[in-house]
Amino acid sequence: MDKPDIRKLDAIRVERTPLENHYIDELLAGRIDRRQFLRRGSTMGMSATLLGTILAACGSSSSSSSSAASSASTSGPAPKAGGTLSVAGVTPAAAVNPLTVSDAGGLLMLNQTGEFLVFDSNLKLMLQPMLALSWSHNGDGSVWTFKLRPGVKFSTGAPMTADDVVYTFQQLSDPKNASNALSTFTGVLTPSGVKKVDSTTVEFHLESPNGNFPYLVSSDNYNAIIVPNGTDFGKWQSTFVGTGAFKLGSYTQGHGATFVPNPNYWGTKPLLAGTSFQFFSSQTPMLLALQGKSVDVVAQFVPAGAAAILTQPSLYKIIKLPSANHRELSMRNDQAPFTDARVRQAVAYTLDRKGMVNALLSGDGTVANDTPFGPRFPSSNLSLPQREQDIAKAKQLLAAAGHSSGISAPLVTEVYEEIPQLATVIKENAALAGITFNLKIESQSLYYGKATYGNSDWLDATTSLVDYGDRGVPNVYLEAPLTSAGPWNAAHFKNKQYDGLVKQYVAALDLSTQKSIATKIEQLLLDETPIVIPYWIDGLTASTPQVGGLNPTSIAQLYLNAAYKS
Amino acid sequence: MVTFILKRLGLALITLWLLSVIVFVLGQVLPSDPGRSVLGPLAAPSAVRALDHQLGVDKPLLTQYWHWITHFPGTSTQYQTPIGPILTTALGESLKLAVFAFVLVVPLGIIGGIVSALNFGKPIDRTISIVGQSALTVPEFVSGIVLILIFSIALGWLPVTATAPPGSGFFTQLKYLILPVIPLVLVLFGYIARMARAGTVEALESDYARTATLKGLPRGVMIRRHVLRNSLLPTITVIATQTGYLIGGLVVVEVLFRYNGIGMLTYNAANQHDIPMLEACVLTIGIVYMIVTLIADIGFSLLNPRIRLRAAE
Repeated sequence: MDKPDIRKLDAIRVERTPLENHYIDELLAGRIDRRQFLRRGSTMGMSATLLGTILAACGSSSSSSSSAASSASTSGPAPKAGGTLSVAGVTPAAAVNPLTVSDAGGLLMLNQTGEFLVFDSNLKLMLQPMLALSWSHNGDGSVWTFKLRPGVKFSTGAPMTADDVVYTFQQLSDPKNASNALSTFTGVLTPSGVKKVDSTTVEFHLESPNGNFPYLVSSDNYNAIIVPNGTDFGKWQSTFVGTGAFKLGSYTQGHGATFVPNPNYWGTKPLLAGTSFQFFSSQTPMLLALQGKSVDVVAQFVPAGAAAILTQPSLYKIIKLPSANHRELSMRNDQAPFTDARVRQAVAYTLDRKGMVNALLSGDGTVANDTPFGPRFPSSNLSLPQREQDIAKAKQLLAAAGHSSGISAPLVTEVYEEIPQLATVIKENAALAGITFNLKIESQSLYYGKATYGNSDWLDATTSLVDYGDRGVPNVYLEAPLTSAGPWNAAHFKNKQYDGLVKQYVAALDLSTQKSIATKIEQLLLDETPIVIPYWIDGLTASTPQVGGLNPTSIAQLYLNAAYKS
Repeated sequence: MVTFILKRLGLALITLWLLSVIVFVLGQVLPSDPGRSVLGPLAAPSAVRALDHQLGVDKPLLTQYWHWITHFPGTSTQYQTPIGPILTTALGESLKLAVFAFVLVVPLGIIGGIVSALNFGKPIDRTISIVGQSALTVPEFVSGIVLILIFSIALGWLPVTATAPPGSGFFTQLKYLILPVIPLVLVLFGYIARMARAGTVEALESDYARTATLKGLPRGVMIRRHVLRNSLLPTITVIATQTGYLIGGLVVVEVLFRYNGIGMLTYNAANQHDIPMLEACVLTIGIVYMIVTLIADIGFSLLNPRIRLRAAE
């Protein structure tokens, strides 16, 4: 960072809130970097222009743009107008209904025509305005106010107003609805908490303070695209009505979809004359289609089985996104032999994490340290010692726990991406210290069962290995699988001190408080080791070298506003 | 003949009804529930209950079965749209692939088998048998990927996917179907050729073939009139029993070549606990299978007068 321009900075600081000034202090003191400042500042509702000015005054530069989804991601050939971009995506597992979509294929479709209040840009690692221009809270984070972008129209030509936003969030947060967003909004937002102030202002009155609420109405919460007031969600699939740069051309169940530019779009008109999505039910044929030039882009894929694409940088352009996508090995804290924390730690010390990242992810990932805090989240304390494979220590821990002759336990998991191979590697690594895992690899429907305690191998097995998709904030990872009342607590971990710390973390508004609580949580989780997280997986998007301007997110959305084909 | 067909139709209806009951009961045994399948494993239980109620799958089994019978083919719980159009399209696609595969493999297999039998024990017989049997053991996903790598990616001659763009002409559609059809031909050729060979060898060694030769018929006429007629009977049965596989069992080929046939639809329906869709798919495959076996039986009786006479009695 160059020398700060104190006079210019002071002029800005007079206008800012104490919290915003706190972040400027943190930036000046070097306690947060440029990226983290952008991220936290944007969460607090500071505009991109303001953030840019502050960074410039601090002697750092910002390249953020004000229009969320229009930022071109990768340098490449000169942009060219026209042409149809052909994209390979996963077949939507069910109807494309904004209320119920829960899969990668479905959410990729939602974002083609739908937009969110806020966009969580993985490329820039910050929140950007989308349908909301700015947002702020009442001081303790219990009421959040969003100012909407004026002049936005739906693809039908009807204007988008606060009524549409209120309707969307009331439906998403209504416990009587089959809403997938309830897993995010339960305990945070109820329909009566969504209030219209005027035609361009909406207030969210939360059930308890939440410092990261803007993430919950951002593209991270993929169901939350804004639809017109009174929309019948069950019939949305026939219109795909939204405010985005494209509108529906055609949608064929299980086969594909086409989109054309939306003449009513509020932002810069797209360069492409149209887009065409082809659905695939597995990754191999998708990558073969890219190799055989049947498609220009593969929306999202995993490194396992993708060597042909990943090892030929001259033929394929790869966009890698840092992501919090991970695998979680839970050990039943209430069942022998895992009642003893030393046994759980022993399992953690047997793992060759670097080897896993190289072998299972072709290097496209980062080692993790058995807590949900990773490089994706600014509040993480990454200075705690990283666990490495240490078989002698694992044996020592087992012996101290009275298991010098080793232990044996079933390990249940699902057929999903590289997970079966990971389970085999865990079994082999653990065997080095005398821990025998008996693998049981099940189909996803059998493994998840009814996803409630007593009706699910995922939640009931002695040890269980599951996948967690990417999130913009660690709240879900901290609450659902680890708190005493968490609905996905496969480890059956119950710790009052932990529950209290998580409550404080979720309510915390400023980064230094979040960081200090995060450090305590990380230390507690390392001591207790209820779960093991071996690595974080990068989000990957591939295209031919002729394609540019793609804007993917690590939860499988792909914005094509600025995409082009030369 | 008419009584024979009527009897067969009656039996077919009873079989289909039993099939529907079995699928329905088995569907209930499958883990997970439709609401959970749609909303994903991480959805809130209240949302799952709301969706299950909306879909009517929380009603008593008999009510659900009655609703299904009276609203056939009904609405897919997974896609929340009427099943009819989805099923018809998928069936049409599957039939296209199956007919193309049949048109190629049946003559090839029969000719291969007969040539083998006529050259019993000679190198050409050995070659056909070994090649046919080896091809039979190569799984479709292996031969499929090898074919794609050679013909689509290395040479760039044929498209990677099997579905032609909408509005394509007959020959363009054929071009798209060539690659997916080859793995099917590879699997079926050995099977059909072996049956045709065995039938021909048996017929050649029979008393009537010897009599025909002894009474001075030229070899060509003897083979055409006496051997082929008899040797083809078991082959027809084999071909008919392969219809079920060609219509509903092509999940692997459909996934690999991105083809929207009924096999994939059935597989997904079972996975997603979409009982109305699963019922409709299984029954459709059942109906096609029964029609083909009926045609095979009729063909059988036309070729073999003894069966015809027995049926008439």
